[in-house]
Amino acid sequence: MAVQPMKSRWLGLLLLGALLVVLVLLPLLVNNYWLRIATGALMWAGLACSWNMLGGYAGYINFGHSAFFGLGAYATALLMADPLGLPFTVTVLAGIAVTAACAVVIGAPTLRLRGAYFAIATWAFAEVLIQFATVMDFTGGIGGLSLPPFLNERFFYFAMLAAAVLTYLATWALFERSRFGLKVKALRDHEPAAEAMGINTALVKLQTFVLSAITASVFGAIFAYWVTFINPRSVFGGDITDQMVVMVLLGGLGTLWGPAIGGVALFVVNRLIWMYWGDTAFYIAILGAAIVLVVLFLPNGIAGLFARRRGGATVLDKTVEKLARAGGGDRN
Amino acid sequence: MSAATRPQAPEPVAAADPILVVRGLHKHFGGIKAANGVDLEVGRREIAGLIGPNGSGKSTLFSLVSGTVTPDKGEVRFDGRDIAGQSAYKVARLGLARTFQIPALFDNMTVTENLLAAAAEGHWAGARERAAETLALLRLEHVADNRASDLSGGQQKLLEFGRAVMRQAALILLDEVTAGVHPNIRKIILEAIAGLRQRGVSFLIIEHDMEMVRNVCDRIIVMDSGRVVTSGRFEDIVRDSEVMQTYLGRPQ
Amino acid sequence: MDLFLQTLLNGLLIGGVIATFTIAFQLTFGVLHVIDFAVGGWVVLGGYLGYYMVAAFGLDGFVAIPVAFVLFGAVGYLIGPILYNVRNSRTARPELMALALTFGLFTLLRGGMLTAWGFNTRNVTTALSGESLMVGPVTVPLIRVAAALFAVAIAGGLFVFLYRTRYGLAIRATAENRHNAALMGVNIRRLSANVYGLYAGITAMAGVLMGAIYSVNPESGLRYTLFAFFVAVLAGLGSVGGALVAALLLGVIEAYVATYVGASYSLLAIFSTLFLVLLVSPRGILRRGL
Repeated sequence: MAVQPMKSRWLGLLLLGALLVVLVLLPLLVNNYWLRIATGALMWAGLACSWNMLGGYAGYINFGHSAFFGLGAYATALLMADPLGLPFTVTVLAGIAVTAACAVVIGAPTLRLRGAYFAIATWAFAEVLIQFATVMDFTGGIGGLSLPPFLNERFFYFAMLAAAVLTYLATWALFERSRFGLKVKALRDHEPAAEAMGINTALVKLQTFVLSAITASVFGAIFAYWVTFINPRSVFGGDITDQMVVMVLLGGLGTLWGPAIGGVALFVVNRLIWMYWGDTAFYIAILGAAIVLVVLFLPNGIAGLFARRRGGATVLDKTVEKLARAGGGDRN
Repeated sequence: MSAATRPQAPEPVAAADPILVVRGLHKHFGGIKAANGVDLEVGRREIAGLIGPNGSGKSTLFSLVSGTVTPDKGEVRFDGRDIAGQSAYKVARLGLARTFQIPALFDNMTVTENLLAAAAEGHWAGARERAAETLALLRLEHVADNRASDLSGGQQKLLEFGRAVMRQAALILLDEVTAGVHPNIRKIILEAIAGLRQRGVSFLIIEHDMEMVRNVCDRIIVMDSGRVVTSGRFEDIVRDSEVMQTYLGRPQ
Repeated sequence: MDLFLQTLLNGLLIGGVIATFTIAFQLTFGVLHVIDFAVGGWVVLGGYLGYYMVAAFGLDGFVAIPVAFVLFGAVGYLIGPILYNVRNSRTARPELMALALTFGLFTLLRGGMLTAWGFNTRNVTTALSGESLMVGPVTVPLIRVAAALFAVAIAGGLFVFLYRTRYGLAIRATAENRHNAALMGVNIRRLSANVYGLYAGITAMAGVLMGAIYSVNPESGLRYTLFAFFVAVLAGLGSVGGALVAALLLGVIEAYVATYVGASYSLLAIFSTLFLVLLVSPRGILRRGL
């Protein structure tokens, strides 16, 4: 794989380092209100990344991803409640285990379906879970469940930050840099050809599906503890999946930073609308409009604007070049 | 490449220990019998050509052998192993590589990534070096970082071929790999095939270009309507009136 | 026994209405190769049109039916080419992008309706609302009968159009084999626009009927999309013939689950069946799908 021009590579790393420093120090810089917003933004950036694993890198559009978010949430809610009263971290791990098992059971048969059929099947699966959680008693029915309150904004901020950083790190390591990532992208681009290269596509798909599922469940677990109250709609709802899909499409399908860009951008829009109009119905319309516009005018997302073209320089490289020239004459 | 410069070939008749044996292969799709009792062999280090009119079942045969399609009945033995009906990825791991008639490239990945992806399931150690060698062999270094979808038609065929090379396979099935390409590109591919054969690789090549078939192949297998009509050296085939009728539509 | 028959009848009647828009949905897939997520949105919008025609002009709900066809037919005709372009563009993954587009459209419609009209439920009132007929042991709400009759008329009209006119032949040919149809001189682009318009019009008409039988509510769009998917999956994507049977079956299943188990279980039952059918036989029960 080609090495990026040195300049933009160092610039990129520097920016990333600066960002991490800011994120770690954020609780010292802003008040709780903004910290909550940051926590939410981190969660959505992380969720978008987790959806992107299967949707962007493997090319399988999961319209029921909220199912795993919800499983993590309900696992934590149920296990932290009486009579079990387990500690939070244990419930997160339990949630991962349950979600992984579920993903294997559901994934193996569902991933055999092509494109749109897979989308419909996963959508149906998530809706089954909503209905199931609504009619069952032990899940609190339509009324939902409460969790023991823990009013420590910093804790949740760092929890989400850790989860998001780990998710992006894992995505980078597994999907961008490793041979596993090559296999995943190969099956996305041409599944029969990938098979002809010896790749066990069914297994690779399943592994990706499970990874994507357990990352979502971790965010669900933290979310449940953070908001202290969940119900079927709030954690399994279609709106959650819709948002994830739009965030990734907007940011750039199949890219590492696309989900982060789209996630933060859309979450900010969401908060702004909520602040000024106090209702979320309008936001749904915005989501819809966003998808339509992205598909029509920006199919590669925002990150696509920075993509390499024909082996030449990226927009970033070109910008760096321009800055260097403007700053110090024709020096390299 | 003319007959005079064709690299030294082993005996044209299939050797005692062929790398590929197909016996009585049958496959039907709906009402169409794509394979109607195919019998053929490919010897080790042999470059066998597979010719026949359109619709005679050549590509289907490739799919049946490589595992993309499951046969209704029949035997396929690769390197002594029974592989009929096995999944494509398992067959590929045993050392069989194939190209597709319409290049099945990984469009959103670069040329280099395409080559590396071919080695991802296999000998990963040294894959980067081998990819560089393959790029050099196929004169694709200058487009190494281009997206596969941005390549010209000829370059795509080269890449399709390059991926098969990366597999380090014992038998490579080439499906019209030089169809419609510039003579320069054809030359690159033919030289690559010759070089690989020297290193012990066998080939089964579907071709319509009789010039190429004559110059490269040790033996020709002729198919029609899902079965093998005859096989032998090019000179003998051309004289066979049945073949002429089948393929060229007139008696000799 | 009475309840059993009653439920069966209700199920069949509603199934008939469902059949209209799901058949049109199949047709759209066959011609455009696009799974229109927005189908539920068109149904609900049709219902809103019906409501407003009653509320604003004091007309009978049935008058809204032809209006819905014309209005939404026009809207569909304008949107059709956009869908066609996306589906046939040479950028990466046109199938996925088209799916995303219809999904975006659905979300936009849903969000728009929620913003404009809130979560309130409305009804389409007609001369027959609330009236019923006693046929032996069963009570038949007249509105359902009328709706079913309309559905039959719409389906019949569609059938005649598809099988007895030249243009209908062109549509069927395109659905069968687009490449050859193009070779025969069919303007696929224009045909796609027309088909999408036809489909939107029919679906909106069904929406008026649904609004009269049930109610109109932005959230129910999802339900109708589910219905369309259910029928499409059972019959096989693109298969118009099986869609009728599947739609009636859906109506009956829904009616029975709602009556005998509980209304809140009906969606669970439908979604579960859909999921299981996809796993077992993704190309439809009769394997006729694409």
